[in-house]
Amino acid sequence: MSGGLLLLATLGTSLLTAVLIFLLPERAFRARTGLNLGAALIKLSLVAWMVWGLSRGRGYAVEFPVLEGLAFVLRADALGIMFAGLSSLLWLFTTVYAIGYLEDSPNRKRFFGFFSLCVASTLGISLAGNLFTFLVFYELLTLSTYPLVVHRGTSKALAAGKVYLRFTLTAGLVLMIGMVALHVLAGDIRFGQREILAEFGPEDRLLLVGLFWVLIAGFGVKAALVPLHGWLPRAMVAPAPVSALLHAVAVVKAGAFGIVRLVYDVYGIELSAELGLLYGLVAVASVTILFGSLRALAQQELKPRLAYSTVSQVAYIVLGIGLFGPLGTIAALSHLLHQGLMKITLFFCAGNYAEELGIHRIDELDGAGRRMPLTSLAFSVGALGMIGVPPVVGFLSKWYLGTGAIQAGMPWVIAVLVASSLLNAAYFLPILGRLWFRPGPDHGVGAWPEERCLGRLETHAWLLVPTLATALFSLLAGMLAGMPFSPLEWASRVVNAEYLP
Amino acid sequence: MSLSGELVPAALLVILAAACLLDRHLRRACLVFIAFALLMALAWWRLGAPWLALVEAVLGALLTGTALFHGLGHLGARSPLPLRDHARRPRHQATARWLAALAWLALAAAAVWGLLGGGELSVPSEVMRRPLLATGLAIMALGLWAFAHHLHLLRRLLAFNVLGSGVFLLLAGLAGPTVEVQGLILVGLVVALVGSVLGAALLRRLHALDGRVSLGGGAGDDR
Amino acid sequence: MSVPLDPSLSVEAAVLWLSLLAPLPLGLVAWRFPPRRMLPVLLAGAPLPLVTLWLLSRLAVDGGLEGAWSLGGLLLHWRLDALAGLLLLLTQLLLLASAAYAVGHRRAIAVAERDFAGFWPLLGGLAAALGLIWVAADLLTLYAALELMGLCAVGMMLLPGTAQALTAGMRYLLYALVGSLAWLLGVALLLGAWGRLDLAGLAADAEPGAVTGIAMALLAAGLLLKAAIFPLHGWLVPVHASAWTPVSALHGALVVKASFFILMQLWQRLVPEALAAAWLLGGLGSLAILWGGLQAWRASELKQVVAWSTVGQLGYLMLAFPLLAGTSAAVATLAWQATWLQLAGHALAKAAMFMAAGNLVLAVGQSRLGDLAGTSRWLPLSLMTFGIAAVTLMGLPPSAGFTAKWLLLQAAILAGQWPWVVVLVAGTLLTVAYVFRVLRCALVEDAPRREVRPVPGGMDLIALMLALAALALGLGAEWPLALLREGGLP
Repeated sequence: MSGGLLLLATLGTSLLTAVLIFLLPERAFRARTGLNLGAALIKLSLVAWMVWGLSRGRGYAVEFPVLEGLAFVLRADALGIMFAGLSSLLWLFTTVYAIGYLEDSPNRKRFFGFFSLCVASTLGISLAGNLFTFLVFYELLTLSTYPLVVHRGTSKALAAGKVYLRFTLTAGLVLMIGMVALHVLAGDIRFGQREILAEFGPEDRLLLVGLFWVLIAGFGVKAALVPLHGWLPRAMVAPAPVSALLHAVAVVKAGAFGIVRLVYDVYGIELSAELGLLYGLVAVASVTILFGSLRALAQQELKPRLAYSTVSQVAYIVLGIGLFGPLGTIAALSHLLHQGLMKITLFFCAGNYAEELGIHRIDELDGAGRRMPLTSLAFSVGALGMIGVPPVVGFLSKWYLGTGAIQAGMPWVIAVLVASSLLNAAYFLPILGRLWFRPGPDHGVGAWPEERCLGRLETHAWLLVPTLATALFSLLAGMLAGMPFSPLEWASRVVNAEYLP
Repeated sequence: MSLSGELVPAALLVILAAACLLDRHLRRACLVFIAFALLMALAWWRLGAPWLALVEAVLGALLTGTALFHGLGHLGARSPLPLRDHARRPRHQATARWLAALAWLALAAAAVWGLLGGGELSVPSEVMRRPLLATGLAIMALGLWAFAHHLHLLRRLLAFNVLGSGVFLLLAGLAGPTVEVQGLILVGLVVALVGSVLGAALLRRLHALDGRVSLGGGAGDDR
Repeated sequence: MSVPLDPSLSVEAAVLWLSLLAPLPLGLVAWRFPPRRMLPVLLAGAPLPLVTLWLLSRLAVDGGLEGAWSLGGLLLHWRLDALAGLLLLLTQLLLLASAAYAVGHRRAIAVAERDFAGFWPLLGGLAAALGLIWVAADLLTLYAALELMGLCAVGMMLLPGTAQALTAGMRYLLYALVGSLAWLLGVALLLGAWGRLDLAGLAADAEPGAVTGIAMALLAAGLLLKAAIFPLHGWLVPVHASAWTPVSALHGALVVKASFFILMQLWQRLVPEALAAAWLLGGLGSLAILWGGLQAWRASELKQVVAWSTVGQLGYLMLAFPLLAGTSAAVATLAWQATWLQLAGHALAKAAMFMAAGNLVLAVGQSRLGDLAGTSRWLPLSLMTFGIAAVTLMGLPPSAGFTAKWLLLQAAILAGQWPWVVVLVAGTLLTVAYVFRVLRCALVEDAPRREVRPVPGGMDLIALMLALAALALGLGAEWPLALLREGGLP
């Protein structure tokens, strides 16, 4: 199969799935499930094929003109395919999870239709070859996640959707203006053509700096950088698979990935360092990390605590970008994947607790480890990873961030890392303590808020399997980090091939 | 044709237009309008456009007149409209409409003045066309005033027709009775007729539906 | 008059005029034998867009077509360039969609066939008038076509026969008539000053000056009134809200655009350098965007939201004037493409939106926004169509609205005309606000279930097709825009 066709097929899989799901009647449960799983598997294998092809030096690109001097470009490069791999892998698990989670609930057709559209947009974001194409999918992502956020149709969900739109669409506009201005200044910049902006003389430098921050403001909303993070905790009203998707794969990551593209592929890391943009990024990221952790500590409910933890964890990626040097870059790129694996596990677990036992508050978790040992084990893996305990992947991210900070000559960042890890421990360890060491209803103390006994296992198999799988992946990615095609190895490959400053 | 020979019909046209627009007795106003249209036909005749005269007489006088009477409901026996318009417009209404009418008139007058004064007319101005321009402007002024002022739909239709005649006269005065002018006026007459027929039919339907003869308050913000 | 008369009518010209005038007999046939199904309507109308496609392919080969009809000493000029051809294609597609939709609509609102039959000849007249407007190249033809269009539109507005429709129609009639007199006066001044009516000749002869300026002001006033540009938009909303759905769809999509098209043609030829006036028009457009958006946001009925949104969206078109006047060629080219792309995208999306809104209102039986609760579950297709059409109106990717906004932003930034950037941002946010206000109402889940009476599937399908076309025009903009660029600015 030729390169362009393969790209289009990969993108088309999810788009076509979305269309077919909208065409199927609401009651066609089996057909929809088959379609969802089949498409997820096909897409995963197509992406795997491209990963293999890329490692053999093949190129995948397709483009057509949209306007004079502006093209719609899809291109699979090492960085893009990394994000694509993450999204297709996690899509598979999230689909399985969502099928179990939404059993017997209304509007499943709408949910899965937009769900597919959302994943198609994420894939488009990862394969976009210039800012215009990126923006197209970035905004499509906003539109397709809105129905998911307000899926429940309650007034609380609708209010959250309103806030979500207000933030993301305004940011989209800001982004668009920044991109158009950059286009006016420098023409159509393909990702990787770092020399275009680098050649601008000193008189345009101020303009470039200004545009950079405009674009960062646009990306920063989705990446939930403080103070643009307000939508994220509110969007927690969405069903658990949506939260998982929002936090681990699609929305937040799209913002972070945009920043990665902007710094490495449009401005280039050297120009960014030269213009002094990286200091700003590190500062914003540090503030976000600490602020997110502190806020997480103050939450009494499980999902909001995880949400603020996301705010803080995604900022690690931005922090890594800000650290000039290969180690910082490796940290940023690998954390993009690592955080996805760990955070999706945590959200799956939170969903399991809520579905099986009706638990939403942290103090209701006492003794849940005995009632749901596997889920709690997965949660523990995710939480320890977030804190940075080896051998879970989170440790690697923090290690590379620390060494990257020294390499970039910013040792004070290590203080931020230590403080943040302490805070992570402070808000995750008590949960683990409650799960495993406190007596709960299964020890004869109190009662679960709303126990449902789904399935023969500790909960529904559709819910349990993806949870365990992602937890396992988080462990394996840490333990087998040296193997080929592990996230860390791939990130190092990207850095070696393209970004070595 | 001498200048004075032109002045008498011109003055008569203006007087008829004023009478048609000022009269609160609607049937009389319609009759005056028919006379006005016939006089317009005469004017076209004298300008050397006999076909236009014929069309004006048939479309402008006969058919439009019939349509207006139909609008009044005096041709069929069913529920005729009240014969007199008693409505009085409150003082401070439709300022924008007045302003627009004034702007229109000022623009037209300024342009005519500029064309005559600067000698910019493509066809050199003859003495006999000056009264035509003056009459056109005067009739246009009357039409604009009436259109902005009246509430009764029939009177607004009359005002529109008179205003249209004013524009036609101005057109003929500016460019002479060339074939283009005749074409434009022909289209204008047909449009005016169709508009009047539609308007009159609408008026009757509205009157039959809920007994009103004017559009409700706050009727738009212009003209 | 020095324009040469083409002695032999070329095949292309004959085909063009046949396709321009074909809607008239088709309308009369449909009047006599009202169609009961959508398929015959589609089949009867389908050749027209195909013919136009063929003409466009011919245009790409040998440039524009032009000629003149001689009528008893009177020369009537016409020309078909890329822009006119593309607009003709758009018109035919939209008319075809509306005609098919109207068949279903009649069944859905249960109007007697006899009462509905009047729709067809009026539709034919409207189609012929619109076609004439795109190809007309002198003021007399334009005048006749403009009036034919206006009167047909008024007639269609009146068809429902309710007091509301009649009042709105009467107001529209009065405005249209007065607007046409303002236009005629402007024409009179131009004819008096330059002695000719053909656009090409006027562009060559007319010198900027007080008289040309005043004539243009009068012409513009008449056209702005007919195009419902702020602050002359008062008649639009009641008319749209009370007319039958296919009529409002056509009116919002095409009829108001035709006046804008004429204005743009005249402006580019007569006063291309009038900076202050162009900025005034841009300012009016900005106010339209803001005011229309605000009113749509506040409106309580679905069709009113859509109608006010038309007022706002027309404002985007007006931004072309300041971007075209006295700017560099690069800016002008960008603004020129942006304007027509926006026009086409909005036409498709607005027609789709009116139809989707009409379907929702028909199915629910209520027109207030609050009554839409739960429609996302019971009428997903109509709501989806509304949403897709809204994507274009909001200017979000991958729609034509997005690509047009990109071009507009690019032009504004390149020209350094920053006010329009602010206006575009504010307008987009307002559009988002009113669109999602509707969607939010429809997504409410905890509403009591109400009786819904789904409309015939074809009606939903037509609306969806139009909405998807507006979407596809976003990334597929290169074909029409390349044609436009080749055609050049007038």
